[in-house]
Amino acid sequence: MEPNVEAVQPQFRSGISGAKIVFDDIRGLIPDPPETDGTSFTALLELPPPQAVELLVKEDFPAKTMPLPIFPSNIALIDRASMFSVFASADNPPDRTNIFSASSSVKQEPLESEYHRNSSSPAVSDQSLKSIKRKEREKKNMQVKESTKKSKKVVANEASDGSGEQLPYVHVRARRGQATDSHSLAERARREKINARMKLLQDLVPGCNKISGTAMVLDEIINHVQALQRQVEFLSMRVAAVNPRIDFNFDALLAVDSESSIDNSYLGLFPPSIWPEGQTNGSRQQQPWLIDGLHLPSMGRVDNSSNFITPENSLLSYDSPANSASLHSSQLKIEL
Amino acid sequence: MTMNILPPNSSAIKTRFAVKFIQAMKRLSKRRGMGDRYKRYRATRAAACVSMASAVGPEWAWSRAVLRKIKRRRLLRQFRVSRKRRLIERTTNPRQNLGFGQEEDLRGLVPGGKGMDYCSLLSETAHYITCLQAQVQVMADILHRSSP
Repeated sequence: MEPNVEAVQPQFRSGISGAKIVFDDIRGLIPDPPETDGTSFTALLELPPPQAVELLVKEDFPAKTMPLPIFPSNIALIDRASMFSVFASADNPPDRTNIFSASSSVKQEPLESEYHRNSSSPAVSDQSLKSIKRKEREKKNMQVKESTKKSKKVVANEASDGSGEQLPYVHVRARRGQATDSHSLAERARREKINARMKLLQDLVPGCNKISGTAMVLDEIINHVQALQRQVEFLSMRVAAVNPRIDFNFDALLAVDSESSIDNSYLGLFPPSIWPEGQTNGSRQQQPWLIDGLHLPSMGRVDNSSNFITPENSLLSYDSPANSASLHSSQLKIEL
Repeated sequence: MTMNILPPNSSAIKTRFAVKFIQAMKRLSKRRGMGDRYKRYRATRAAACVSMASAVGPEWAWSRAVLRKIKRRRLLRQFRVSRKRRLIERTTNPRQNLGFGQEEDLRGLVPGGKGMDYCSLLSETAHYITCLQAQVQVMADILHRSSP
């Protein structure tokens, strides 16, 4: 069977690119949950050669641009992913796309579970054959899942992200109808990385979720950074003004009398936005600096002050459990 | 890829920053030669940045850049040696931004942003934003506790 497939390949490259595929017959041919303990690849092999050729039609088969000699250690990962995509045909597509689209976080567990199911990955001795088979399997998988046309595989991203920059090559499965040469693949992987980080930034900056479009999000990010830097400068000016009058005793700073309820005092202290002016970010809540409302030693006022606090991040300042805050105070005392 | 270490670590960073900043302020207040001057403000601001950068650690490029800048400034002040600017070769990215000049703005804002590629610029920006927020909270906290 294997030499057949190899022989088929050059013929395919020469000419069949225009052939149409009737997916229904092929889908009928392919067992829906594969009974073979191995993979869908064996199902592919069981098909007679012409139909196997037809399966390979949809994309140009860039045999020469396949990274044949380079087999980094994530072959297993790619096998897993491709097998996972096959067996996920029974699962919900959203699961798979969710899992695959999380490129910035390496989600190994679903892949692992799927991998254990197909533990007998095809043990092929010849490496070149293995690459050809993987490509075939991938293409077959892509064609089987005709309904999910945008099946992009982010295993490459996982692989590249998970193993750092040691990989010289990035293995990305090409989308349907897209070029598969190494440059565009690398470009696409890079774009995925950039998009993932932009998403992270969007989550970080308040009010960026509603904005669509990279340019405005970047503007918001820049404004946010500038506003934060201005806040730091302003605060440092105030601290400098206060400085000669203050002994900077840690006792005074930590309000020793409120040791037990120090977490409340931490929680009750500051709204995220300190002053009304200088806020370029429109979505930020404008709150005046409630100095008189937030006296530290008077714990009774803390509840009042907590009303003024946006739930955003001030409730999580320093930590909600008291032990960390008391640890903070003891640390500071030790540092004396 | 270094994963973005975001809010889960922010309380630890806040603690470290608070400790260093308060120590620096103590030292500053003890130093003579600081009247009611602009110098004190600049020294306070530098102390804030340095203590934040040292609390973050050398893992992040922006903290390294901040520490480098402060060291250089200190050496310059002491020895009055003019140094050659290191030419940092910027990697030419095939992917261009939407052309509003945002990328260069961002590079100008984030310390050390000039010598990074776009990907790491974005992740450094994310971490920088979280650290700035932490810094603002701690400084406001300190201000608050010291002047009721």
